[in-house]
Amino acid sequence: MVDMIDVLYVEDNENDADIFSRLMHKMGRPVTYTILSSGSEALDYLAGQGKYKQQLTPLPKLLLLDLNLVGLSGIDVVHKARQHDRTRYLPIIAFSTSDSPSDVRSAYEAGINAYVVKPGTYQDTGALLTHLYDFWLERNTRIYSK
Amino acid sequence: MTPSTFDLTNCEREPIHILGSIQSYGYLLAVLPDTYSIVHASDNIADLIGQSADELLGLPIDQALSNSSLSANALIEFLNVGRRSESWEGLNPQQFAVNGKSWNLIVHQHQGLIVLEWEPVGEHNIARNQQLIAQALTEVQASRTLSDLLQNTAQRVKKIIGFDRVMVYRFEPDWHGHVIAEAKEDHLDSYMGLHFPASDIPRQARELYKINLVRLIADTTSTPSRILSQPDWPNDKPLDLTHSVLRAVSPIHIEYLTNMSVQASMSISLMYRGELWGLVSCHNTVPRFVDYPARQAAKFVSQLLSTALEFRKDEEDQSSLLHFRQNGQYLHEQLLLDENIVKALTKQPVSILDMTKGTGAALLFNGTVYRLGQTPDDDEIRGLADWLKQNDMESILQTDQLPNLYPPAEKFRHVGAGLLSIILSKELNEYIFWFKAERIQQVTWAGNPDKPILVDADGQHRISPRTSFAAWVQNVRNTSEAWAEAEVAAVVKLREDVLQVITKQANEVRLLNQRLQLAYDELDAFSYTVSHDLRTPLSSIRCYSEILLEEYGQDLNPDATALFQKVIDSTERMRALIRHILFYSRMGRTELNTQSIDMKQLLEGIREEIMITAKDRSLTITIGDTPPIVADETMAIQLFTNLLSNAAKYTQLEKEAIIRINGKQSDGEVIYSIEDNGIGFDMNQAGKMFDLFKRLENARTFEGSGVGLAIVKRIVIRHGGKIWFHSELDRGTSFYVSLPSTQTR
Repeated sequence: MVDMIDVLYVEDNENDADIFSRLMHKMGRPVTYTILSSGSEALDYLAGQGKYKQQLTPLPKLLLLDLNLVGLSGIDVVHKARQHDRTRYLPIIAFSTSDSPSDVRSAYEAGINAYVVKPGTYQDTGALLTHLYDFWLERNTRIYSK
Repeated sequence: MTPSTFDLTNCEREPIHILGSIQSYGYLLAVLPDTYSIVHASDNIADLIGQSADELLGLPIDQALSNSSLSANALIEFLNVGRRSESWEGLNPQQFAVNGKSWNLIVHQHQGLIVLEWEPVGEHNIARNQQLIAQALTEVQASRTLSDLLQNTAQRVKKIIGFDRVMVYRFEPDWHGHVIAEAKEDHLDSYMGLHFPASDIPRQARELYKINLVRLIADTTSTPSRILSQPDWPNDKPLDLTHSVLRAVSPIHIEYLTNMSVQASMSISLMYRGELWGLVSCHNTVPRFVDYPARQAAKFVSQLLSTALEFRKDEEDQSSLLHFRQNGQYLHEQLLLDENIVKALTKQPVSILDMTKGTGAALLFNGTVYRLGQTPDDDEIRGLADWLKQNDMESILQTDQLPNLYPPAEKFRHVGAGLLSIILSKELNEYIFWFKAERIQQVTWAGNPDKPILVDADGQHRISPRTSFAAWVQNVRNTSEAWAEAEVAAVVKLREDVLQVITKQANEVRLLNQRLQLAYDELDAFSYTVSHDLRTPLSSIRCYSEILLEEYGQDLNPDATALFQKVIDSTERMRALIRHILFYSRMGRTELNTQSIDMKQLLEGIREEIMITAKDRSLTITIGDTPPIVADETMAIQLFTNLLSNAAKYTQLEKEAIIRINGKQSDGEVIYSIEDNGIGFDMNQAGKMFDLFKRLENARTFEGSGVGLAIVKRIVIRHGGKIWFHSELDRGTSFYVSLPSTQTR
């Protein structure tokens, strides 16, 4: 079994990715993470296919997923991930600017574990990520795939 | 007066064709065809031939007449000719001299007997009568209106028979009569337009009128002469006088005529398609005899009229159909031109009232009643529509006695005893009605309905002809004139026209809907862009400003720090604005998920939230009665949050801010009031209150986007409710929200 990383963050907005990285470095504890910028790359990573075929990619403890991605959308990624044994029970959190009820609903229908709206401020985002880590990395009990 | 004791069939039961007597100005013999032996003779026959009936009965005619001045041979020869030709029509009348005086003999054969009737030869003017007949013929051929034709026929008949009054009397479908033409002496009152009850001319009399087209009563004051039969003649076989010209008059009819001051009368049947259409009814105030040729001339004129009726009446039906059709055409054009159905049907010179002979019309459309002419009131019309809706009727209903179908109509029978109605839409409860007034209201009755009932010697109530009016009036209550085919046809066509316009408009609405759908889709795309694409860079601006302050703050001078803070504040305001706009745009479309809401819990939750942000000031929010409302919970929270936080906002300057909420359940709705003691506003600006982005002058210094109350208004409208307010500058504001307490949409 390969070591796990804490978070896989799929985000195509460079600024958001950058702000995320900055906040990770400010965390009071070491956090391992990987940021990918597209849905298809994320699926390749999770399934160990495409350009990740020869590598053993570490599964994340949590998939933080922007929904509005260029190309394959976040919802598509969830659908595909849920069909795959390796990621069927992977905690996935939708992380989106949209708070539209229909977006929230379709994300849940695709199989996410939680829906979080991007707070829009640096401080609030930091606080939110701290909470997420506390819960999803520390408290939440995971099912590991075989 | 108790109508139930009337014996209305009294007249109808009278066996008027076998009365057993004849009018005394003439004489009658009935003989067997084979032997010419006399089986019946009128009691007065002695006056003609000098021998009493008793002497004559049983004898063959040649023996019987041997001692009289009436030539038996001539008579027998005449009878032989008639028998051989099997027709008497062409032989009548035959003049015979008796004792130096001329008599007209009129013969017919009926029920195995030859009936001979002698009547006086009058002072008739054959040349003049023929002239009148020729004129009548010309007139019938010329294209004149039916009423002209009737009027002239009355004049002509009057000239021929010389009576005081000649009326053309038309039977209505219920057999009551109506005077539609009249020629009379100047000193007499006119009967024109009067109505006579059906019982005035009972059924069996009408049957006789169909057989015997001319009927003369020469003297109502004379005593009829009885018809005697030969001794061994069976009692159950009295002489049938159906075809007799001398037939005596029933005492009831004599009484009728006497009541009208008439001592001689004559009537000529007018037939239309084999049915009795009317009568030419002639009255004279003193006894008057009209001889056979004159009667025949009058009959001929009337027959000409009957023939004319066959096509003139059709023509008149056609022309009224044409008239209604023409009006229908106008209405159709108005509909096409205007497309405002109500205006096109009720507010133009030609309206639905012109589509029938109805006395009133009404349109029930889009929930509103539009009335024209004399109609029942709005509520009664709505009641009628409900009844039509419940009773699974065809698209068209016509009745000339609505109260018998729909008892509540009795209340408005004076304007609506007859109803013709079409359904435009059963679902939308849309109808057009035409009303006809109760006939009793419209007609002038001949005679005096209040004349007391006569009581027979045996104590039985009997209806004299004049008093039968009252009973008749009872009988035709709740009844209107019938609807003509032309009226119904016009209305059927109108229905098609209106439905066509409605369908066309519905299609236009559908097209509009499609365009609206497109616009909504675009708005959705726009909302999405605002929600995502605009918010994302805004977040970046905000976050990087924060990072700059946080990580490089110590390198910045205070001015730079303040400027960064302004950037951050601006992004905050923009974020709030975007959030509100999105909420507002979604408000119109999100599905309503209504349920009964526990308002106490909801309001306390909102109060708690507001109190947290207001912890540094003195603010009291009191919650009074909290009747539940039926609403979408999310929207209800938004609604009351906005109102309460507004109240909280505009009481910021008060030392002691007080907000009071109270709910009141009333009929079908719940009203919540939210009162504050804040800055209030000038009611002059109240019109702008709920406009998007509008902010009031004195609220400039308060933070706000101008979207909050617009959202509130939208929520209230979505729930089918109302919102209003009262405010005074510096005195505070009260908002009132009323929501229906039943489920909406």
